Amino acid sequence: MNKLIQAAYTWANERLNLDDMLHFAQKKTVPEHRHSAWYYWGGVTLFFFLVQAVSGVLLLLYYRPGPDSFESVRQITFDINFGWLIRSIHSWAANLMVLSIFVHMFSVFFMKAYRSPREFGWWSGIALLVMAMLFGFSGYLLPMNELAYFATKVGLEIPASMPVIGPVMADLVRGGLEVNEFTVQRFFALHVVVLPALFVPLLGFHLWLVQKHGNALPPSEEARPVEQRRNMPFFPNFMLRDMAMWLIALNVLAVLAAVFPWDLGQAADPLKPAPRGIHPEWYFMSQFQVLKVFGNWLPGAAGEIIGLVWFSLGMVLWCLIPLYDPNRSSGRRGRRATYFGLLALFILIVTTGWGYWATHNETLTDAQPGPAKAGAAQSPPAANPK
Amino acid sequence: MNYPFWDVPHIGSGWVIGIIAIFHIMISHFAVGGGLYLPLAERKALREGRADWLEKVRGHSKFFLILTGVFGTVSGVGIWFSIGLANPEGTSTLIHNFVFGWAIEWVLFMVELSTAVVYYYTWGRISNELHLKVGYVYAVASFLTLVIINGILGFMMMPGEPWLAVAGTGQEASRFWQAFFNPTYWPSLLLRSAVCVSLAGIWALVTCSRIDGEAEPRLKTEMVRWSAKWLLPSFLAMPFILVWYLWQVPEAQRALLQLGMSTIGTGAFTQVTRMALLMVISSVTVVGVVYFLAWRLPLSFGRAHALAVLFLGLVVTAAGEYSREMLRKPYVIGRHMYSNGVRKSDVERLNRDGYLPNSPWLPANATVLQRGEGMFRGQCMACHTVDAYRPMKRLMAGRDREAITRLLAILHDSKPDSPYKSFMPPLVGTAEEITALGDYLDSLTAPK
Repeated sequence: MNKLIQAAYTWANERLNLDDMLHFAQKKTVPEHRHSAWYYWGGVTLFFFLVQAVSGVLLLLYYRPGPDSFESVRQITFDINFGWLIRSIHSWAANLMVLSIFVHMFSVFFMKAYRSPREFGWWSGIALLVMAMLFGFSGYLLPMNELAYFATKVGLEIPASMPVIGPVMADLVRGGLEVNEFTVQRFFALHVVVLPALFVPLLGFHLWLVQKHGNALPPSEEARPVEQRRNMPFFPNFMLRDMAMWLIALNVLAVLAAVFPWDLGQAADPLKPAPRGIHPEWYFMSQFQVLKVFGNWLPGAAGEIIGLVWFSLGMVLWCLIPLYDPNRSSGRRGRRATYFGLLALFILIVTTGWGYWATHNETLTDAQPGPAKAGAAQSPPAANPK
Repeated sequence: MNYPFWDVPHIGSGWVIGIIAIFHIMISHFAVGGGLYLPLAERKALREGRADWLEKVRGHSKFFLILTGVFGTVSGVGIWFSIGLANPEGTSTLIHNFVFGWAIEWVLFMVELSTAVVYYYTWGRISNELHLKVGYVYAVASFLTLVIINGILGFMMMPGEPWLAVAGTGQEASRFWQAFFNPTYWPSLLLRSAVCVSLAGIWALVTCSRIDGEAEPRLKTEMVRWSAKWLLPSFLAMPFILVWYLWQVPEAQRALLQLGMSTIGTGAFTQVTRMALLMVISSVTVVGVVYFLAWRLPLSFGRAHALAVLFLGLVVTAAGEYSREMLRKPYVIGRHMYSNGVRKSDVERLNRDGYLPNSPWLPANATVLQRGEGMFRGQCMACHTVDAYRPMKRLMAGRDREAITRLLAILHDSKPDSPYKSFMPPLVGTAEEITALGDYLDSLTAPK
């Protein structure tokens, strides 16, 4: 048996130079220090992406976009053996993937792994995050249930509020003036063709950069003399730990999918009023809340425009960080960059929490009998009918 | 019925038992498996003349004594308290039917606890051979506690035809052995023994993770790998034992598993399948993580890794016990007593004479809503709460009074094609009592 494996390896090695790859993996090392745990989050994200790809293909076997979309997801959830499991896994893994990207991004930020020569790693990572969020946004509508319908409707009002190009863009994505089966068709194409076609090569580029530059050392480790630094071989040590992390990630996913299977809800009915407290997925909550707050403070479209400018500016600064703080001799700039990251994290957490608190209150207000309160306090400006 | 009701808000009394039991099982199964691990590790160290091994085994025995002797015993008593309060009828049946079994069990507990103490305090004070013998006595005694309790737990799943033939006649104890060696006895004993061996390995890894790999590389590598091996037999045997176990479980219970494959339904419909899936995948994860982190990289196996394995073991135990409990539905003692304490043989009588006359705790001049609440407490509260776990407020939301009446009629009739029949007891009582329950449930969702 061993001889057969050896012969197969030799045959493949002569054609693919596998020895080189193995040699590279053995030579490659990963720094070992008290912050090493953060190195695993990129791998965890990759794992969730692979789960998404596999479970997504399985869902494709039964999903039908267009007018049948809700019915097909109903069949997946209630009629097809283990359909509910695949769908729950796909939905949970999507959320866990975005979460692990956030963890990965902030760990990269605070370990200063965006510094030279890793700028392209930082930028490609941000682009992957944006795409992952678009994956989430486009996938959320596909079951065409009540929550997805209204959340998408509200969500699309965000780009629509941009001056001049906003309404055109929103109409283009919606396939008309309203969210309907044409929107589902477009979102489906975006979700299973356009985004994967962009995401996969970019992910390849991102991973190639990681291999090329290796893992960055956090400043606390960089300050130590070289002889005091510890490393572990990538293969097998880091690889084995990575595998264990993947298994644990799989288990977390299994716990969530088994204990909290993803609900389907009611079919979307555009004639019904939007349920109170409707909100987008958690990773858009921060933007949603900021727009709502600015919309309440300022009259007309000014609030939404300022909100959008605020976010766009934040994103631009976030992308420019590697240029502002390029290397370990950045000194004061390095510290300022860290404060900026802490501020960004703080704003993100606070506005997300605030958003959930506000929508929860709206739901409660609605549940109480009596005349409905009028005014902006209840209706997010982004959801106002145009 | 004849006892006061234990109202645990939000989580329900079942979860109080559940939380204590899952914690207890993690430790009690370790007490059995660890009982074998200690003398075998000691024997290996003595044979190979390894003083460093002996020192670590001694350290592990201290950890073992404290964990099993303190937390294991306290949580065991906690189970008795909680089951007595949550399901007095079921507990009463267990006590009356297995008086002799419990007596044997407690004698074995005494032997187990005493030898555990003797084992720890006689390290280096008596001869090695005698010390090892004490370890073996502990191992045998602790295994026998499993042998006994397994019969009683298996009885609750499936008492078997001989016992069911005399159930309710007062002659139940005459079928002690048939009830004890019930149809699920042997697969269940094997399954639990396998879990004990695994948990011995998992807990030992916690101790081994504290060995300094840089100072004692050989010791750490050997002990981590030797402990990791303890997970292997159970992992290999588990699928076969599980299939055997399910083979013995009644067809109606197995049907619950099938239902959960095709649909998520809501609530209890599919929990058995989901928890069973979780148990399988978590078991694979435990073995995988132990292979990658302990077997392949023993020197860097640290406390965080060991705790991750322990936590995963907890998930497996919790999922396994939860599925076993769910598989027993709608009974607390298979085909004899429903999960709310109503005996199957009493259903007709309670429908005719009423359920509430058996609840002396209800005031004589109770209002309709109070009577309805009495029905809820007696027949629903074993599995449902008002507002949190399997909450009636959510389950009744969207149903008007008429819909609640129809639902209660389905539960009362409990016809063979009823979707609730496989996991919910029939609703018993007179028409007036059921109307009172309907009014009470309606009041939970009505605007205040």
